[in-house]
Amino acid sequence: MGGGPMVRLENIHKRFGKLEVLRGIDLDISQGEVVCVLGPSGSGKSTLLRCVNLLEPPEQGEIFIEDRDICKGAGSAAGEAGWELNFVRQRVGIVFQQFNLFPHKTALENVTMAPEKVLDKPAEETREKATRLLERVGLADKLNEYPERLSGGQQQRVAIARALAMDPHVMLFDEVTSALDPELVKEVLDVMRELANEGMTMIVVTHELGFAREVGDKVIFMDEGKIVEQGKPADVLDNPREERTKKFLGLVLER
Amino acid sequence: MQEFISQYFDVGFMIDHFDEVLEGFWLTVQLSIVAGVLSLIWGLILAQLRQLPGRGFLPVRFATIAYIDVFRGVPLLIMILLISGSIPSLQFLPEWLRIPQWFGKPDNFWFGVFAITITYGAYMAEVYRSGIEAVPRGQMEAARSLGMSHRQAMRNVILPQAVRKVFAPLLNDFIALMKDTTLVSAIALSEVALVGRDLQSDALNSSALTLGAIMFLVVTLPLARLVDKLISREQGRFTRGAPRVEAL
Repeated sequence: MGGGPMVRLENIHKRFGKLEVLRGIDLDISQGEVVCVLGPSGSGKSTLLRCVNLLEPPEQGEIFIEDRDICKGAGSAAGEAGWELNFVRQRVGIVFQQFNLFPHKTALENVTMAPEKVLDKPAEETREKATRLLERVGLADKLNEYPERLSGGQQQRVAIARALAMDPHVMLFDEVTSALDPELVKEVLDVMRELANEGMTMIVVTHELGFAREVGDKVIFMDEGKIVEQGKPADVLDNPREERTKKFLGLVLER
Repeated sequence: MQEFISQYFDVGFMIDHFDEVLEGFWLTVQLSIVAGVLSLIWGLILAQLRQLPGRGFLPVRFATIAYIDVFRGVPLLIMILLISGSIPSLQFLPEWLRIPQWFGKPDNFWFGVFAITITYGAYMAEVYRSGIEAVPRGQMEAARSLGMSHRQAMRNVILPQAVRKVFAPLLNDFIALMKDTTLVSAIALSEVALVGRDLQSDALNSSALTLGAIMFLVVTLPLARLVDKLISREQGRFTRGAPRVEAL
């Protein structure tokens, strides 16, 4: 890895039909940095996140992960055919709002599946590692439970362990606490906070202002497919410069 | 009334010809199992071809959809007649294919198996597809985001869930398939319907056919009950085990 940022986005554009969801996003994220993305629904923050691991292919612009251009020739089928999805998916982990655990597998099997099938690691090694990861997220006693027997917070922690099992260098979190009952939010945020403290590079789409303030190195406010304002959490959250940021924060705090 | 009973339910006649009818029914069962298993496999292959991603596979998807549409629309009896009538005359085919006599079964047995597999494969492909499409999109996304290829994701994540969802409808199709094997009587395979029909025209009595029908019921009724049970279990699972609505 050179001296460049961990993740660099240059002029990312994405549209769904006529709707232009991302309208030119530029962003640098350095190693170990935690970037929290705020914004009203429909502002493009989830799409942006999903572009970073090419789950949504951008139509224009460049994305660099550890100085490697991962979406050369964006917008053309020929260009997309050359993308190294394997490199991207192994470097970048994602956790979803709806957990998306595999319901026919136990917690442990959810975590071991990708290393086993994708990296061809021996079963014993993946089991051992998955057990460690699940212990780390506080689920040592739930290894053999199926997802439907776990609470939302527990499922989400399994999902985090599952993503970590691929040893990602960057983790993406897509509103991971939005589907949780309020009393379960903390256990998930605690795991994320710990991950941040250990130096993981993270992009976190969230409505949890407290988390953004405490854990975030940078806060980004998005609206209508663009980055409206960015800076240190204290600056953006307490002294927003832009009208749209003020209005949004006002609405969130009113809740 | 007396006439009705002696025409359809002549117990003495049934007992006299029980062995013949049973032998015919045994052939029906063999035909059903071989064609059923092949249809299940062929349908699964078709369903997967239909789901291949990306622009490059567009011709494959298109051809698969065309196949499924055509063979769901053609009557099985016509397929049976088309295959058995002319395959043996196609000289460019090797003999083992023109006149298949594998595992000691006559060629019309295998022609029946082909026709049923070709037709029911198309039906079952649609059943599998409904199962694949019932698996939430997030499952494929999660699998792909962990680095699995489309193929790995299908095999390890999507299909195991899809097959569970469609087990009952597939079993339903199997029951229909089993009943439709009687159409193979049209090409002189002595399965249960043909045995019954020959006895009917010899003795002017339908009781052997009734006996064949009873044998069918012995197999199909428990299967139908099993389907019901599976469906209600699947529904129970959905209401009890699924995530609550607010979590979706």
